[in-house]
Amino acid sequence: MRLFKDAEIAAAGSRRLTKADVLVEGGRISRVEETMAVPEGAEVIDCAGRILLPGMFDAHVHLREPGRNDKETIRTGTEAAINGGVTGLVAMPNTSPAIDSGGLVRSVLDIARRTARIPVQVAGAITKGREGKEMASIAGMVGAGVRMITDDGSPVRNPQMLRRAMEYAREFGLLIASHCETMELSGSGAMNEGRVSYKLGIPGIPAISEEICIERDIAIARQTGCRLHIQHVTTARGMEIIRRAKEDGVPVSCEVAPHHLIFNETDIGSYDSNYKMNPPLRTADDNAALLQGLIDGVFDLIATDHAPHTAFEKHQQDFGNAPFGVTGLETALPSLYQFFIKPGKFDWGVLVEHYSARPRILLGLDPVEIAAGNAAELVLFDPAGQSVFTKEFMRSKASNTPFLNQPIDGQVELVVVGDEILLSRQEGEH
Amino acid sequence: MEPRKDLLEIEDLSREEIEFVLKTAQPYKELFKRSVKKMPTLQGKAVLNLFYEPSTRTRSSFEVAAKRLSADVTNLAVSESSVVKGESILDTVDTLQAMRADYIIVRHKASGIPNLIAKHTGASVINAGDGFHAHPTQALLDAYTLRERYPGEELAGKKVLIVGDILHSRVARSTSRILNKLDVEVGVLGPGTLMPDGRPPEMRKFGSFDEAFDWEPDVIYLLRVQFERQGEQFFPSPGEYHAVYGLTNTRLQVVRERGIWVMHPGPVNRGVELTDEVMTYERCLINDQVENGIATRMAVLYWLKPETEFA
Repeated sequence: MRLFKDAEIAAAGSRRLTKADVLVEGGRISRVEETMAVPEGAEVIDCAGRILLPGMFDAHVHLREPGRNDKETIRTGTEAAINGGVTGLVAMPNTSPAIDSGGLVRSVLDIARRTARIPVQVAGAITKGREGKEMASIAGMVGAGVRMITDDGSPVRNPQMLRRAMEYAREFGLLIASHCETMELSGSGAMNEGRVSYKLGIPGIPAISEEICIERDIAIARQTGCRLHIQHVTTARGMEIIRRAKEDGVPVSCEVAPHHLIFNETDIGSYDSNYKMNPPLRTADDNAALLQGLIDGVFDLIATDHAPHTAFEKHQQDFGNAPFGVTGLETALPSLYQFFIKPGKFDWGVLVEHYSARPRILLGLDPVEIAAGNAAELVLFDPAGQSVFTKEFMRSKASNTPFLNQPIDGQVELVVVGDEILLSRQEGEH
Repeated sequence: MEPRKDLLEIEDLSREEIEFVLKTAQPYKELFKRSVKKMPTLQGKAVLNLFYEPSTRTRSSFEVAAKRLSADVTNLAVSESSVVKGESILDTVDTLQAMRADYIIVRHKASGIPNLIAKHTGASVINAGDGFHAHPTQALLDAYTLRERYPGEELAGKKVLIVGDILHSRVARSTSRILNKLDVEVGVLGPGTLMPDGRPPEMRKFGSFDEAFDWEPDVIYLLRVQFERQGEQFFPSPGEYHAVYGLTNTRLQVVRERGIWVMHPGPVNRGVELTDEVMTYERCLINDQVENGIATRMAVLYWLKPETEFA
């Protein structure tokens, strides 16, 4: 039994924090009251001045296992998640081999059960080997527990293939997640096409590469009635296409990544490959539009697209050859706090709604909002603290983040799942 | 003027630094007329030519420049095939540190490689052309060539029309930038496919040669059409390119009547960017560019200070 005393509780969609005491018994929240006497035998955790959040849920994570355990493993990736206050995630299937069968899903879930301290959801591939040619064994993956399928990392290039997959997946109630990119338009591009790519002499990825594919996939969702989730939207126009489709009743949802809200192409500076990801950082105007879209509710989720790479790949090669991707599990919560919540651009309710509540709803998982009866997945966040993202601080194997060695306001102080304290930076160990 | 370690791109340079290089190159050029063309300036210094992309002209130009300053020059032609996968360019640079080079001259097909190397070594790094990014010594030699024709303040306000592949050309990027810094107006003309929207606003765009002639340029700078760099089609044929964007004999008449100077970074594609007649046109500056390249690169070697010489 554990009592979280004098916490400032954040809830999805709520503009304000509520001061309350939260009692956890047998792994579940049993009481939430303005103030309560300490029940006998309860361990008291002083939460005064800190924010108590339901655990974050990241619907877009690359754990790299199997195949690229040098970049990340299920163990290190989930530890990174805990370090960032994330207590649930969806692992993308672009591993080696790609997760495209029930057997592979089971083996990944089995590794997760043995090595991870938080639950791991696995997304399956839409097509075998993510090659876009044949459908993966969809029913087999559903049987193993898959709720979302995606060829993430690439689009399904052939629209007829995607159409058939969506018609088929619809009957299983699956969510199809799309990495929207028109490969012929992206070519050898390595960053947003525009002023900065011209100046640096780096081939560009035009905004239309993403926007045309968003239009295409929405048209197919409209036709098939299959639920579609557009991953990592980066352009104002792309977002507007989705907004209109939602108004028209197309079953589409979408996500935005913290880095696409915070950074833009100018941050690349002199070829800093920590700012190289796909889809790429766009413009300052896009930053502003995406932020407004998040506040307006166009975006359903915040998801990091946590994409770990080795130091060699990212920092010993030139920008063009360095792989796409940025890590995000550990930095998302504090960076969103520093850049948006602290300066009042949006409130805790927006963050909890998009990075905790709605991803779970989208995937049909039980809610973890801080209310009596729910499972206890709690994160205590200290807004007065500070996190410095050194290699030692981070639990990911990778350090390909613009925040490397940078201080960010706020600190994840405590992470609790059920009765277990997964992380504590409080004085004195529990 | 602060000492500078590397020459990576024109953007980094102050007007003062540009003027310093142009001024320093002048006596070096005088030197070429003498029977003894060598100076002891860089005696005992080691210059490493690290060329990942074949280039006889630029490499030779740097080699002659370094030798005329009495430096020891090592040429390292690294063919792409010899670069083992998994060994990064920085591993190569680490290996080369053993050679104790004071100056490393780099050419590479990937943009940003010289920047990466410069951060990693105490030697002075000179960018001899990287991808589509920059070719700063070309820009300096172009500026020097123009300054010879328009001494001192005369150059400011002149108009240079750059013709061709603005999208893939590092010469277009660097030369237009130095011209901006010297208050020269820059216009551009080329196929719509090679005219990126992201180009700087100070590049004034023309739709045709006729339109560009109305602007009354003082100089026409033709870019080399890089057939080998283009995996995809940007214009229907070399013949059509020549007809629309080439300096044809008909256009040469206009150029001659108006006394417009003609430049080209070389090597030229005869029958594409220009005709044989252009090569013998009295105001064609292509050979001057080559000669000035050596003097300018000598000035650059003299100007840059490897980290060992700071303090």
